[in-house]
Amino acid sequence: MADTTFALKLDVRRLHGDADADVTDVALAMDEEAFRAFYDRTAGALWGYLSRVSGDRQVADDLLQESYYRLLKSTTVFESESHRRNYLYRIATNLVRDSRRGAKPLFDEGVEMADIAAPQPHADAERRHDVRRAMGRLKPRERALLWLAYAQGSSHSEIADVLGLKTASIKLLLFRARRKLAAILQA
Amino acid sequence: MDMKHVEPTDAEIEAIVSEAIAAEAAMARTEAAPPSSAIVWWRAQMRARQEAAQIADRPITIVHALAIASGAGLMLGLLGYATGGLKASLAWLTATYQSVAAGAPLASIDLTSRWVTLPMTAMLVSVLVASIAAYVILADE
Repeated sequence: MADTTFALKLDVRRLHGDADADVTDVALAMDEEAFRAFYDRTAGALWGYLSRVSGDRQVADDLLQESYYRLLKSTTVFESESHRRNYLYRIATNLVRDSRRGAKPLFDEGVEMADIAAPQPHADAERRHDVRRAMGRLKPRERALLWLAYAQGSSHSEIADVLGLKTASIKLLLFRARRKLAAILQA
Repeated sequence: MDMKHVEPTDAEIEAIVSEAIAAEAAMARTEAAPPSSAIVWWRAQMRARQEAAQIADRPITIVHALAIASGAGLMLGLLGYATGGLKASLAWLTATYQSVAAGAPLASIDLTSRWVTLPMTAMLVSVLVASIAAYVILADE
């Protein structure tokens, strides 16, 4: 990681034609301390959301960085921590949707097989495999709905905010997504 | 009784889904290895700097392009003018020289001829445009 950082610094300095330039701050929506604290609280969960909704860890890695950058560049005034977090998830959701255009199939076998090969009890590994396969057969919006509701514990209004839907429609959409996932898991 | 055909209740479906996603979320937490906040912050700073620099460079690039276009247009105009009017200008110069050499007063020289005013105007415009272009380029550097 340190090598990567060093290489990036060199590249940027070369770009600016100043080998001795210091890295100075530019105007972003948060100061460093506040950002780092917010990132440390949210990055793990956001990565989980991105990887499960996109079905691709590499995509999740890329979109994680992009999501935080767009949040930092945003001029939105946040009323609370949860408002900021929901906004971040909304950015991430839009990025996943955009990345899906012309992308490879979700939940490719390579990812799943790597997980199953990990030293885990056989039954657990098989169950995870089933859950991922079932998730992979859902639409991205259904995965996002279920993940936000059951992994993040988001309220209907928060889910609606993140996914850009009406709060009143969330209950029905969740009901359908639950039934679909349960049916696939039980098949 | 064949249980396979019994439809699960909403509560059972809720339990199945909740349990499955909770297990998947727990797995995701163990897999997650996001870069450190310091790295993400630093990359964001670098990217914001680059974008700011690109935005700041844009008007200067436009001025450069305008200066180059003006200079090129002027040169082409002069070239076109020179090919057509060179002979006439030379003839005017020769006639002026001869009349001055013959003792004619300087006041009698016709300075309103277009073969005098056009080259003079072109020269002045060239000097003006070149000065502005040089100033902009040097100020940028």
